[in-house]
Amino acid sequence: MQVRRKLIAPLLVIAIVAIAWISLGMVVTNSYYQLMLTLVPIWAVMGLSWNLLSGYTGLISFGHAAFFGLGAYTVTIALVKFDITPWLGIPLGMIVGAVAGIVIGYPTFRLRGVYFALAMLAYPMALLYVFVWLGYQEVPLPMKREEPALYMQFSDYRVYIALAVGLLVVSLLISLAVERSRFGMSLTAIKQNEPAAEAAGIDTLAWKMRAIMLSGAVAAAAGGLYAVVLLVVTPDSVFGVLTSAQALTIALFGGIGILWGPLIGAAILIPLSETLQAHLGDVIPGIQGVVYGIAIILVVLLAPEGVFWRVRDQFQRRWATRAVQATPLAPHIVTAAPAPATPRKPILAVSGISKSFGGLRAVTNVSFEIGDGEIVGIIGPNGAGKTTLFNLLNGFLQADSGKVVFAGHELIGLKPNRICRLGVGRTFQVARAFPRLSVLNNVVVGAYATTTNDADAFAAASAALAQVGLFGRADAIAGQLTNKELRLMELARALAGRPRLLLMDEPLAGLASQEIEDMLAVIRSLAARGMTIVIIEHTMRAMVRLSERFVVLDHGAILAVGQPSEVINNGGVIEAYLGKKWAAIRARS
Amino acid sequence: MLAVESLSVTYGGLTALYEISLAVGSGQFVSIVGPNGAGKTTLFKAISGTLRPSGGSIHFEDRDLLAVAPSERAHLGIAHVPEGRQVFASMTVMENLEMGAYSQTGRRDWGRNLERIFALFPILAERRDQAAGTLSGGEQQMLAIGRGIASSPRLLMLDEPSMGLAPMVADLIFERIVELHRDGLAILLVEQRVAEAVQSCDFGYVLETGRVVLEGTHQALLADDRIRSFYLGM
Amino acid sequence: MTSFGTFIEIFLQALIAGVLIGAIYGLMCVGLGIIFGVMRVINFAQGEFLMLGMYFTFYLVVGFNMLWFLGPIVGPYTGALLAGPALFAVAYVLHRFLISRVTGISVAGTEGEGHYVQLILTLGVALVLQNGGLILFGSTPQSVRTPLSARAWEIPLLYDANASLFLNKARAVAGVVSVVVAAALYWLINRSRLGKTLRAAADNASAAIYMGIDVDRAYRIAFGIGIGITAIAGGLVATYNPFQPYIGLDFVIIMYAGVVLGGMGSILGAFWGGMTIGLVQQLSTLVLPTQLQNAAIFVVFLLIVMVRPQGLFGRATERV
Repeated sequence: MQVRRKLIAPLLVIAIVAIAWISLGMVVTNSYYQLMLTLVPIWAVMGLSWNLLSGYTGLISFGHAAFFGLGAYTVTIALVKFDITPWLGIPLGMIVGAVAGIVIGYPTFRLRGVYFALAMLAYPMALLYVFVWLGYQEVPLPMKREEPALYMQFSDYRVYIALAVGLLVVSLLISLAVERSRFGMSLTAIKQNEPAAEAAGIDTLAWKMRAIMLSGAVAAAAGGLYAVVLLVVTPDSVFGVLTSAQALTIALFGGIGILWGPLIGAAILIPLSETLQAHLGDVIPGIQGVVYGIAIILVVLLAPEGVFWRVRDQFQRRWATRAVQATPLAPHIVTAAPAPATPRKPILAVSGISKSFGGLRAVTNVSFEIGDGEIVGIIGPNGAGKTTLFNLLNGFLQADSGKVVFAGHELIGLKPNRICRLGVGRTFQVARAFPRLSVLNNVVVGAYATTTNDADAFAAASAALAQVGLFGRADAIAGQLTNKELRLMELARALAGRPRLLLMDEPLAGLASQEIEDMLAVIRSLAARGMTIVIIEHTMRAMVRLSERFVVLDHGAILAVGQPSEVINNGGVIEAYLGKKWAAIRARS
Repeated sequence: MLAVESLSVTYGGLTALYEISLAVGSGQFVSIVGPNGAGKTTLFKAISGTLRPSGGSIHFEDRDLLAVAPSERAHLGIAHVPEGRQVFASMTVMENLEMGAYSQTGRRDWGRNLERIFALFPILAERRDQAAGTLSGGEQQMLAIGRGIASSPRLLMLDEPSMGLAPMVADLIFERIVELHRDGLAILLVEQRVAEAVQSCDFGYVLETGRVVLEGTHQALLADDRIRSFYLGM
Repeated sequence: MTSFGTFIEIFLQALIAGVLIGAIYGLMCVGLGIIFGVMRVINFAQGEFLMLGMYFTFYLVVGFNMLWFLGPIVGPYTGALLAGPALFAVAYVLHRFLISRVTGISVAGTEGEGHYVQLILTLGVALVLQNGGLILFGSTPQSVRTPLSARAWEIPLLYDANASLFLNKARAVAGVVSVVVAAALYWLINRSRLGKTLRAAADNASAAIYMGIDVDRAYRIAFGIGIGITAIAGGLVATYNPFQPYIGLDFVIIMYAGVVLGGMGSILGAFWGGMTIGLVQQLSTLVLPTQLQNAAIFVVFLLIVMVRPQGLFGRATERV
């Protein structure tokens, strides 16, 4: 049995919404309300497309009007210039949208934070000017007297409502498919902590590109249908800032990162603004913009993730018990052959790696070997370069010189997700979970790199949870875990990728003494099953009992390597930790 | 002068400090040492106001510090020299010192303080128009201390001033700190290097995993071998 | 006149126009640059405050005619300058009650999340101001006409008796006033105690707190000054350009392109960035049709953002 939330409930909701909407459309005769019933689904689709990129990945796009407008103009130009029916024009527009997604995404994803947002803002504005220059100030769609249905023109308005609902259903299904698959999970992992996702083996750029392609295609479809319904396209109406703002607001207001959000947002905001526009538009022009502006401000201040989450979080407890119970697979713990006695074959060989930042030498000519199945502690005073070393091993930083060989593979130059696939796992100091998802769903992300289907992924995740002793908590909501449990969950996520070498960055920091003992027990059990573990830690009392060997770094260089009892009596090490004078004074007494 | 009582700090569910108590008497030199992760910088931040404690109290000259906003604490007579220097890299040495003298007492004593700072750290006078970001680590540390003195404080708090500095430079810094103490300034020094911090202090505390595990006069601490086990685990 | 001579004339004309417009763009970019440099806030509503500056000047000088005693030439420029303090006050209040909830020292230093919230909030403010402006002011374009608006100085070119350059007087005066205001601001930021306090808060907020500086208040003042400066630029633009409530949108990308080109965090850079954008815009008329002028700016903007995000003067290690 699969550990997955059942799909019946959301599919049922979608079906009910669709049927109810169409039924409503059948009985409404006022043409204004008919238009509204058509626009709400179209804008909901636009919101869903925004969600597909920005809601799931956290990369906020202010430029979705670019895709919307391209879809609208594709349909329009295809009809006007080439006499191609919108039945073909809309799919064509979707292809254009997807291609635009690739063209825009590839360079823009390299940008971070504010630069990404500003660049996304620029694209639709540039397109607007280009289309004005091309002469497309206002393009009406020609009426087709013969065979209007072939050209998606219907005298009975209710067909448009059905079309709009059809598009909405398709978009909702796409969103659902994304959300409930590793596509959505990978995007969520990227949103929550991109470096950790990379280190867990997720090819973040590839997933982001897929997201923007899909997002662009769906937005273009919305734009295409919009053109068909309104029968006239102007650059400002489709490429304008308000269009991007509407997409963003609808998704943000309704609920970010979940398919119901844009639906709620559109259902509330479109009727509200359109009604106000209709009744007050003469007296107060621009009321629409004011409504959206106020909606944004209220959402940001009061419910930053949207109405859906705000309401749901209030009922979290009730919902949690009603959530579909998934029985996790009984784990098949693979007992590896016990670690061979000395001597151990080296599994990781670091030779002469160095890294400088500007004039600052962070790591200087570091060389050491780690044997298969060893537990090695990397220690050293503050600022010694330990985390930099890990980042070099992991692929987050490129070494200036030297070699890193892991089980026969040269690691330097590889991206972190590739290194993860080769068998190197990593935990980070700050464990950030998906607070609203179950523990099992948090962990399964780590298994994506090494499994091809979801059944295997969940099996690996269950096994990982068993290894750290969290199997019984697989269904708990991650937001309710204790600190120690969160750490163990983070560890399980790294283990789900079945690494041979595990890099742990300060796993014990801040834990109470009993919790430290528990963690040590888990780490020892992992080593007993043959895993090689390298730990950065400051909690020396625990480390001297856990580690077989120490590698001591100071000022970016190796100070000493050896067994704990030797190393801590090493004069140079004592000096590094306690200061030169202390060693001298003690020596004298 | 400064009284910390049963101070606890937790963040993210982790206990960084557990019921710490210590005191700095008027004109005293107090050192706090301990290994990495012991909570020394957390303690510093709690006193300076960057972190909010979850329990306990801090009093400065009988005033409840927890009721005073962080940016107000400088005006009470406490100067902070934070970890990593934290100079205003884009501003000149002089401008940094001017910012140090932001408080009223600082402005009042500006001329006198400036002379003193340049007497202690002549290199700052030489480089007074240079951008602080271009100074060496040691020079930046001197600037940070000078900035602290510029507010005419009664208590000077320093967080790991020797971090990242070459031993000779660190020694010079420590010498100057001792000089400042001799001139009547109370000092609270948080450090990782034990002897340098402890040998000149009137009283010292050893922190480990958020608790005070040892305290005493400098002679008592230097003679105590247990410090090594706190740092190195056994 | 030879065709080369004609080309020189056209080229110089575009160059002069570029410099004059560039000075005004430079001023508005400086306003945005201060806000970003000090607070690291991305203010989507900057164009709207430009627009409000225009309308303030309009209502003060034309609508209510309150500066009649200064005459038809000095009046409008004084009105533009007064837009500064007026919008400073508005911005101060706006920050105090709204913007500060998503900015301030708790946010300046966190990545990702904090910035998006600012962007989105200021987008909301922009929409409200834009459309609120439409409601209050109506959609008819307005302008602040002065006797200078339609006149120009003629500068004969020495090489040919028939060739000359025309300097629109209104634009020229606006350009000069912009430079003066920018210079005054430069003095304020670099020499005055207030300016140093703002720079300290911008450089290292936590260290500034240690010095006893109230960083939240510094941010508020910076926000006010940034908006006020941009409002003055708006008032100056109003003296030679007609405007309507949606005009802010036209300038948003210019301001951002200028600030990014100059380097986010450098006020001097922002001015030169704006100047460059003005030159690019005017010189591009030599090769591009007028509708594509602004598209040229986008291309420049996207290029900078991709190739050299820190701009010409910015620090490479921006905590963005």
